[in-house]
Amino acid sequence: MENQLVELCLQAASVSRDSIEKWRRQRRTLERLPSQLADSLLRRLISRRILFPSLLELFKHSVEELDLRGESSVDAEWIAYIGAFRYLRSLNLSDCRRLTTSALWPIAGLERLRELDLSRCSKVTDAGIRHLLTITTLEKLSISETGVSANGVMLLSSLRNLSVLDLGGLPVTDLALSSLQVLTKLQYLDLWGSKITDKGAAFLQMFPKLSFLNLAWTNVTKLPNLSSLECLNMSNCTINTLLEGDNNNKAPLTKLIVSGATFGDEFEAFHYIETTFLTFLDVSNSSLHRFYFLSHINALEHLDLSRSMIGDDSLELIACIGVNLKYLNLSHTRVSSAGVKTLTGHVPNLEFLSVSHTSVDDVAISYMSMMPSVKVIDLSSTNIKGVIHQVGPESDPVLSLSALQNLQHLGRLNLVDTQVTEAALYPLENFQELRELSLKSVSLTDISFNYTSSMPKLTNLRIHDGVLTNSGLNSYKPPSTLRMMDLRGCWLLTEDAILSFCKTHPHIEVRHELVHIYPSKQIVSNSASSSRSTLKASQAKQKQEVPVLPCFLDQRLKYSREELLALQYSSVSRAPPHDRDVVLPNTQSD
Amino acid sequence: MRKEETVKLISAEGFEFVIHKDAAMVSQTIRNMLTSPGSFAETEHGEVTFPEISTTILEKICKYFYWNLQYASGKQTEFHIEPELVLELMMAANYLHT
Repeated sequence: MENQLVELCLQAASVSRDSIEKWRRQRRTLERLPSQLADSLLRRLISRRILFPSLLELFKHSVEELDLRGESSVDAEWIAYIGAFRYLRSLNLSDCRRLTTSALWPIAGLERLRELDLSRCSKVTDAGIRHLLTITTLEKLSISETGVSANGVMLLSSLRNLSVLDLGGLPVTDLALSSLQVLTKLQYLDLWGSKITDKGAAFLQMFPKLSFLNLAWTNVTKLPNLSSLECLNMSNCTINTLLEGDNNNKAPLTKLIVSGATFGDEFEAFHYIETTFLTFLDVSNSSLHRFYFLSHINALEHLDLSRSMIGDDSLELIACIGVNLKYLNLSHTRVSSAGVKTLTGHVPNLEFLSVSHTSVDDVAISYMSMMPSVKVIDLSSTNIKGVIHQVGPESDPVLSLSALQNLQHLGRLNLVDTQVTEAALYPLENFQELRELSLKSVSLTDISFNYTSSMPKLTNLRIHDGVLTNSGLNSYKPPSTLRMMDLRGCWLLTEDAILSFCKTHPHIEVRHELVHIYPSKQIVSNSASSSRSTLKASQAKQKQEVPVLPCFLDQRLKYSREELLALQYSSVSRAPPHDRDVVLPNTQSD
Repeated sequence: MRKEETVKLISAEGFEFVIHKDAAMVSQTIRNMLTSPGSFAETEHGEVTFPEISTTILEKICKYFYWNLQYASGKQTEFHIEPELVLELMMAANYLHT
């Protein structure tokens, strides 16, 4: 409720072009507008998509931050107006795909600019970099995935105040990196996908303040010790030595990502790394096969071991250091229920646990019920049946899921592609904190609806491939908190039945191959929020679902999600993917 | 209205608005002025002068105070703002923390 009237004013100012016409002539007032109000007003106009270039001129005396990311309409005319923003401190033009090198020229006059983001403006080339060289105040610059070459990168050496430099996806060579050595204030350097080799990696020692380094997808195999490095990403590299040398001045590493990395034969598992401060470790999909080093990383909070070689025998090492652990991903590993047993009692703070695509069975559930802080459990594609048959002829089978009732914080449960039968879902009725439930099985019938009716906090419900019927859907009483219901693959449902359900429950977003309804309310709130969140939301939605016509249903089953996404782009000649982002949600909501 | 329960808000042009204290307290800034310890002139006389806020805007602000009280008590109506007043009102609202 803080500053509600300001919020009401912002709304009133950005209702329509007509309302803009009413206030845009008040130039004196606009000039006096405090920058934080001007920033909010401009952001609102952008997210409402009623901003046009000449309107920018009104803000030239007041705005300090301008975020135009993803605005496909931004072109030379826009930049010409922005060039007059005297107090501009931060300018985000990432994903403005129409932006060209020549359009950037007016930016050269922004004397107070400290932050500039041109990521993924693919038409910006080396000549565009020349326009930036006059802005010696620049501290943060992102030019990842632009058309800049190694020569353009070398030009950046004259921007001596740079502390953050994102060169991801650019063909940066060893020579270009060596010319950047004069940037001694550099703290953050992103070089993923560059042409840096071991020779170039040696130059990195020349940056005394470097704390963040991304070398993913490069040919670097030997990284020397960097005395101030806190965050390192070397995923998908072949690593022989890591941070070797100088025992007195070791990198105070807190975050290490080596997912998909191949480790050389002579690699001494993390021997040289100072592990006192390490809290985040991602070794997923890597070739690592010895895990002894884990037993020293006492501060670890986030551990991703998915698709690694880890097995039950190594889980004891995790148990040793489990006190601080909050996130543990063991999916796609050889871990079994016996391994989960090793962890019980040693992970008092664990919040996220994934054992999907492993061989764990119902016994593991009882062990998980002894992990008091768990909020998210992913059991998808495991051998979970939901029932434990007791030894002895007289005893009744036990419903294993009932053990999870003890977990007071359990908010998300994923049981997709397990062998859980409907009868075994009965304990779910008593899950008081559950917000998200995912089920996928061909044996699920209307009864599974009934179990969810009594969950007081359920917001997201996913039931895939079940034999749910129209009458079941009609008589379903969803909990009042439910916001999203995903019923894809429930092939017995008809369009009419789903639409009538949506009419009775307008606040619930329903997803199904035949219909996709966004709740009417949400559209309004989306457009009113900042452009950043709407863009993210639309991207996130797109990631989750590939638009599929019902007649192609069988085709869909043949491909994985990644493959489908790839197909999606190949079919549409060369439309830039971002434009599709904007278009897609509209076509889906039809 | 008893005098102790009211407060006088004075615009740049010298117009005086006498409103309930409860209503004026919707503004965090006015609340601080009226409740802060020590004997500020504002606290003693129940008068606050706003040399930066014009009469039109201060009138709108007063209307908003009462609307806000109603809104908080469950009577949810729309508060209409004329586009012409938007900028000035926004600045005043920002200053008054309301």
